[in-house]
Amino acid sequence: MFELFAEMWSFAFMRRAFVTTTVLSASVAPVGAFLILRRLSLAGEAMAHAITPGVVIGFVVAGLSVFSLLIGGLIAGVGVAALTALLARNTILRSDASLASLYLIALAIGIFILSAAGSAVPLKSFLFGSILGIDDASLVLVGAVATVTLISFAYLLRPLIISTCDPVFFEAQTRRPWLIEQAFMLLLVLNLLAAFKTLGTLMAVGLMILPATSARYWSSTITGQLFLGFAFALASCWVGLTLSYLLPDTPSGPAIVLTAGGFFALSALLGPLGLGGRLTRFSRKSPQALQTHSTKEKTQ
Amino acid sequence: MGQILEIRNLALGYPGLTLFRGLSLDIAAGSTTAVLGANGSGKSTFVKMLLGITAPLAGRMSWPNGAPREIGHLAQLTEFDRRFPIRVWDLATMGAWKRLGLRRRLDAQMKSQVQAALETTGIADIAYMPLHELSGGQLQRALFARVIMQDAPLILLDEPFAAVDQQTEAHLLTLIDRWRDEGRAVVLVVHDLSSVLDHCSHALLLGNGEATFGEVETVLTPERLVAQNYLSESQAEWMFRSPRREVAHV
Repeated sequence: MFELFAEMWSFAFMRRAFVTTTVLSASVAPVGAFLILRRLSLAGEAMAHAITPGVVIGFVVAGLSVFSLLIGGLIAGVGVAALTALLARNTILRSDASLASLYLIALAIGIFILSAAGSAVPLKSFLFGSILGIDDASLVLVGAVATVTLISFAYLLRPLIISTCDPVFFEAQTRRPWLIEQAFMLLLVLNLLAAFKTLGTLMAVGLMILPATSARYWSSTITGQLFLGFAFALASCWVGLTLSYLLPDTPSGPAIVLTAGGFFALSALLGPLGLGGRLTRFSRKSPQALQTHSTKEKTQ
Repeated sequence: MGQILEIRNLALGYPGLTLFRGLSLDIAAGSTTAVLGANGSGKSTFVKMLLGITAPLAGRMSWPNGAPREIGHLAQLTEFDRRFPIRVWDLATMGAWKRLGLRRRLDAQMKSQVQAALETTGIADIAYMPLHELSGGQLQRALFARVIMQDAPLILLDEPFAAVDQQTEAHLLTLIDRWRDEGRAVVLVVHDLSSVLDHCSHALLLGNGEATFGEVETVLTPERLVAQNYLSESQAEWMFRSPRREVAHV
């Protein structure tokens, strides 16, 4: 067993994959936590598709460089987010319907251009990433995005918590409540781009959402949610990478997300806020029962 | 007691729809003002205007003693996330957010203030209970604790008793009285004519394109309530049937 790990570790591409996904886990965990808490889980998925045309155009114009990916993706992501906000504010459509319409158009444009340009890069690597082919530039991108994300969260955590928990209260507290939402969307796009090269458009959100939803089953505090989310993301990456190494012909991106899915299933079954847990028991009881339970809990 | 807020010739509404115009009122320190009106009469818009979220169509709003650093605010719970992973203690602490800023940690003094706020609202024993386990009344008490932590000269409460039991309402009303005695001004949006009005010195009645402000007894007369579409004539007759009762006791 140990020899197998030593052998795996002896490959430079495996070491790179481990380092990249470790850093990536630290970066996407807080973003994922607030995606689910802000009820944007599906918007995250949609946004991952929405950045595709930007990335593809960047690729067609400037080749497969980190810089073109970043600029193209940022323009597409921020553009779709801004258009969504515009439509949601000024037309009858709500933001989910606006975003769904726009991301579908964006995704079609992306695939259309990619095929029309007769690209040398197969569609599959766009959809699923190529975690075992991480170059220095991609590693730097992931590191830079993680740095920006963690520093931003250190400063934005309080306004993010307040605006997520009680948006009406937050709106009355600040002159520019939209600023925090836009900052968060920008962090989301940046993290999707960082995850894009390693996991691809289809799997990128998996590493954000699944560890966050798993953590939610265990924790009633925001600190627990953030750290557990990171732990689940990290464990998913390490276990997933190992599995894809041990089992021949298994793609690493889906292996990582499947592992995260395994943690999710376990958490849903066993977590205190999951299927067998407290939330269900409480909601079946009357308020009086709830009161008694909490008093009991306190005296224990 | 001094004036906290002066409003002159205020018109509220949205482009193409004027809710009311010509409202002038003074909100004094140590007063409690009830805001009443039918659905869509502009109660919540008025609160939003006081908070600076919505701009008035016309008129002037001024703060004789300087604009307050903070306005205490308890909104309706339509957009509140009751499953958010924080505890009662954190929710109360949110009220001190403006003083704490982005990074400052809670010092011992602030901690004892939070503890005192939880004790005042009667929920110190569930300080570490997560939000999703709270009953409607417990949540409202926690939100009142947050208002205490805001420590504001003007406090706006938008239908604070919509989903709480009688006992909680009675307890929270004593808090409103205490704020009044401390020289704060409380503006309270209420949905029905109820005993809550016993605790209010002034009333602002909105409806039928008009806004009437004054002492509770002078504003909430059956004629006025009918004229501003708050009650139908038969409802007013029933509520004010003889022996004539004061509105506040209905």
